[in-house]
Amino acid sequence: MKQFVIIGNSAAGIAAIEAIRNKDKESRITVISDEDYPSYCRCLISYYLAAEIDEGKILYRPLDFYKENKIDLLLNKRVIHVEPKKNYIVCDDKSKLSYDTLLIATGAKPKFPQGIKGIKKTNVFGFRTIKDTKDILGQLPVTKSACVLGGGLIGLKAAYALKKRNIEVKVIIKSRQVLSQMLDFEAANIVQRRLEDNGIEIILGQDVTEIIGNGDIKAVKLDSGKVFGCSMVIVGKGVQPNVDLVKDTDIKVNEGIIVDNRLQTNIPNIYAAGDVCESFDLTKKSYSINALWPVAVEQGKMAGRNMAGDSLNYDGSLGMNSIEFFGLPVVSLGIYKIKEPGAHIEELKLSNTKENIYKKIILMDNIIIGAIFVGDIRNSGVFLRLIREKIDVSSIKDRLCRENFGYPDIIDLLKDKECIYV
Amino acid sequence: MDEFKEKSIDLATQEMLKKAQDENINTAWDRLELQQPQCGFGQLGLCCTVCNMGPCRIDPFGEGPQSGVCGANADTIAARNLARKIAAGASAHSDHGRDVAHTLSLLADGHTHDYEILDVEKFRDLASEFGINIDKPKEQIVKELSKRLLEEFGKQDGELVFCKRAPKKRQNIWKSLNITPRGIDREVVELLHTTHMGVDNDYKNIINTGMRCALSDGWGGSMVATDVQDIILGSPKPVRGKVNLGVLKEDYVNIVVHGHEPILSEMAVKASMDPELVNLTRRAGAQGINLAGICCTANEVLMRHGIPVAGNFLQQELAIITGAVEVMMVDVQCIMPALHEIASCFHTKLITTNPKARFPGVIHVEFEPKHAYEVAKQIIKTGIENFSNRNKERVNIPKQEMDLVAGFTKEIVFQILGGRYRATYKPLNEAIISGRLRGLAGVVGCNNPKQTHDYFHTTLVKELIKNDVLVLQTGCSAIACAKQGLLIPEAAREYAGKGLQEICEAVGIPPVLHLGSCVDNSRILTAASYIIAEGGLGEDLSDIPAAGAAPEWMSEKAITIGFYFVASGVYTVFGASPFATLGSKNLSDYLTGQLEEVVGAKFEFCDDPLKMAHLMINHIDNKRKALKLKPVMY
Amino acid sequence: MKQLYYDVDKCLGCKSCEIACAVGHSATKDLFKALKEERVSLPRKKVMHTRGKNYPVSCRHCKDPKCVDACMAGALSYDKEKGIVLHDETRCVGCWMCVMVCPYGAIRPNIKTRIPLRCDKCKDKDEPDCVKACPTGAVIWQEEVEIKL
Repeated sequence: MKQFVIIGNSAAGIAAIEAIRNKDKESRITVISDEDYPSYCRCLISYYLAAEIDEGKILYRPLDFYKENKIDLLLNKRVIHVEPKKNYIVCDDKSKLSYDTLLIATGAKPKFPQGIKGIKKTNVFGFRTIKDTKDILGQLPVTKSACVLGGGLIGLKAAYALKKRNIEVKVIIKSRQVLSQMLDFEAANIVQRRLEDNGIEIILGQDVTEIIGNGDIKAVKLDSGKVFGCSMVIVGKGVQPNVDLVKDTDIKVNEGIIVDNRLQTNIPNIYAAGDVCESFDLTKKSYSINALWPVAVEQGKMAGRNMAGDSLNYDGSLGMNSIEFFGLPVVSLGIYKIKEPGAHIEELKLSNTKENIYKKIILMDNIIIGAIFVGDIRNSGVFLRLIREKIDVSSIKDRLCRENFGYPDIIDLLKDKECIYV
Repeated sequence: MDEFKEKSIDLATQEMLKKAQDENINTAWDRLELQQPQCGFGQLGLCCTVCNMGPCRIDPFGEGPQSGVCGANADTIAARNLARKIAAGASAHSDHGRDVAHTLSLLADGHTHDYEILDVEKFRDLASEFGINIDKPKEQIVKELSKRLLEEFGKQDGELVFCKRAPKKRQNIWKSLNITPRGIDREVVELLHTTHMGVDNDYKNIINTGMRCALSDGWGGSMVATDVQDIILGSPKPVRGKVNLGVLKEDYVNIVVHGHEPILSEMAVKASMDPELVNLTRRAGAQGINLAGICCTANEVLMRHGIPVAGNFLQQELAIITGAVEVMMVDVQCIMPALHEIASCFHTKLITTNPKARFPGVIHVEFEPKHAYEVAKQIIKTGIENFSNRNKERVNIPKQEMDLVAGFTKEIVFQILGGRYRATYKPLNEAIISGRLRGLAGVVGCNNPKQTHDYFHTTLVKELIKNDVLVLQTGCSAIACAKQGLLIPEAAREYAGKGLQEICEAVGIPPVLHLGSCVDNSRILTAASYIIAEGGLGEDLSDIPAAGAAPEWMSEKAITIGFYFVASGVYTVFGASPFATLGSKNLSDYLTGQLEEVVGAKFEFCDDPLKMAHLMINHIDNKRKALKLKPVMY
Repeated sequence: MKQLYYDVDKCLGCKSCEIACAVGHSATKDLFKALKEERVSLPRKKVMHTRGKNYPVSCRHCKDPKCVDACMAGALSYDKEKGIVLHDETRCVGCWMCVMVCPYGAIRPNIKTRIPLRCDKCKDKDEPDCVKACPTGAVIWQEEVEIKL
């Protein structure tokens, strides 16, 4: 009977468990998490902070999930070292656990840029875990204003939640636009306007150099010299993969743990999935980390199936983000911004400022490699499919930005004919 | 730009569609796309909403219900729907005719000083036709004539006076079928009556009543409109003009008149020359007032004054989108509700003038014939005052404008073809008999975004004139061909067959003759009657080697026109989509088949312009054979 | 397990299926009243048009549903027995991940209610409402077919 060990209890971990159990009901599965909480929907913490959902709704699986699936769950334990030569892992309480097959799904942790003075003060929060959220919630009664560092998804979601809780929020962004990791300038402007119209202050092109206060936070200082008073700081300046546990091993790591098209690391019985791993990005055509919930689930599922004996091919990950602020939905897929125009690259755009609708589709050699949708996100799944299946869209190029574009337009282009239409 | 080439063959239209797209303005083409899919039941004519036991649908595939709740089958439902459209189209034309006749009566009673009897000869001819003694003083004749004309609308029995213009044989056919129109309004009312729940269930009978109503338009309301307009506004004479969006001028105050009733647009023409307004224009910094027209009212002022035509039906939004229009004044029919939203994207002021056609939230300056000139002046003044609000950055007037010759009426044809000494149709008839001319075609009608704008009209007409068919045109169809340069004498050399070329060069006419607006389709009926009267081409209108076509039709008026032509014996082909009757095989077969045995002509539906041309040419050839004419010369 | 199929040659684009779907999922189940409800029910399927033919689009209840994987709130799940993708409205936060990944574009966002619009095969009824509503029989409700084309 095999022993599977899965480090990580979130999207990738749970997907792997379910994939393994689908095929193999007998082998032992042990899941280790450094959090003191059963598997929860990490992406929902901003809704929890905003009081849009209550704690009961944040669980990802029912409490009896582990018992039902015969999983040994070890909470509140951090794995500090993996020993690939001897097939065991070491935890922070010095205990060891042997494995036949290992999945590293340790995720990532918020970056706290060391260059910012005072970054280690209390009431400077990351926004990744439910513990972070509860700590922030604890401080809310004594907080009037807060600063959020970083204009990415985490930062803006945190800002949105704080605003919903009637905290005055300023978002301080180094880049010239919000969401610089998923939107182009034009789309970002539409989002920014919506946020500002709803009372969230956005400051662009400036970075925080110092967090000021003795004990309690009093203010932040920007590189321009400006000082803003606030009593809470939330840092949303990106995440870095939790790869410490494979330090000093033969496991190949770049920024994240490198995996191949079967989600295997360079060590045959060690797999990785989720925010910790670096996989082939099929739009960028290079290795990249796509730290996104649906990507993690997909990778965890694939890894789990391969760990259980299948031999499935993973085409690769791609960026895929969906978000909504104050009634404005936004979806970003694949490559959303072209750095250098080229002969093979084409951009299709539709911009309707009156109705806040923006669509941009990027093609290379008539194959879609990325898209942005603001305001009208219908059928974005069809575009995701066109990207993944690398479909040549030259015959329907003029229809792509149309309001009534949809699945019927691509039926003839698909390789697999599905039997829906008689 | 390829997507725009599919939408229109006219370069100016393509350019403005691109501008509209760039500025996020929706046009009729965009709205058509969003309407897809359009309901198949509606398209087939199988949806009945006549009574509250419905709405009912007939299943065209035969599996579902084959009758409505009342028991009406597909034939009845489709025929009733078609009949209502004939009634609506007839109402539009005839009500326009009534307004014109009413203006004449105001003139008679001295209530309006802005109009006068301009074509005295036609006036006297018309009076004689109504049996009025023309030796009486003019004022009395006017009073009597206007009274008799208005009576045509309210008559209950007898027949419309103009029916007597048709050849005797045709009049007899109508009598034998009981479709001689008795009174203009009566026929509409009776037709609508038959479409009420539980009245007429016999599709052939419904079509019969429909034809009578259509005839009350063609030989009634429209003819009244045409003839009285000629009398009080002057009969058109051949005139050179310009057509397409390029007629709008950057340094001028651009006033666009759009709609159908020339009693309004004529006043606009007069007022645009008012010295007070001309002064005001100079002071506003413009070089002058540039009046241009859209749709039928454009044709009316083009025919009489050579006023430039900005475009046809589908270009009405695009004219505003050039950003250079200060005022668009509209009256009735074919005016898109979308104009309001589009005008509000620019400085353009949309002004309605007719109490029958209002827009919520739009300036309304009511036009009454009693104060015609003053009202027109006021509206143009608003335009002059609006000139300074023009945003020069957003102005983009396409360069395309084309010359055309218009102004052909049945009287002109007399004069032109008859030569200097005697006005007569003889040369025309002889041209056809000898085979120099194969025959005649009337190509008329609207635009429809379901097809490539202007493509069908021009392709069809080019093919016809290549085959020595003289083409008579009205309405938006004429404007479409004019834009492509077919309405100038030079076009004969480039596009016409040898026989037609010879005639055009001898007489100095284009191979395509512009007869005016859609009510002026009545000119074709009268001209056809003169051809028969002249002799040598048979005894009935159905004998003439001629055919009609409405290649890009859109409105209900087009259906009515089709019906009055067919009921008068002229084979007529429709493009765009067919009538909404395909859900009833019996009705469709009747209209395209057996109807010929009944009235001597039938309908045809065709979606390809070259095929359509050859259907018409074949028909013309058959008529030539039947008349035992010599074969075509070239 | 039954599934919805469509006969494209018979679809006339009348959209009666859309109306029946919306009314069937409303509170009052009556067309005129449904339009006055506070949360107006919208159709879960759409009839689309391309190249001269009409294609109704509705959730395929895939066996390996991408939307279930992508749902970050765990609101979507697949019921193997009934062969239906289920949606728990109480867990949904309106993040639109499902819209982003559906390979058929069969899920539409309802921005007002923040709940995705998706066919549920009228799970509490014998037969989906659209089947009965189609006047030409273009909507077919039958056992799933494994056709290799």
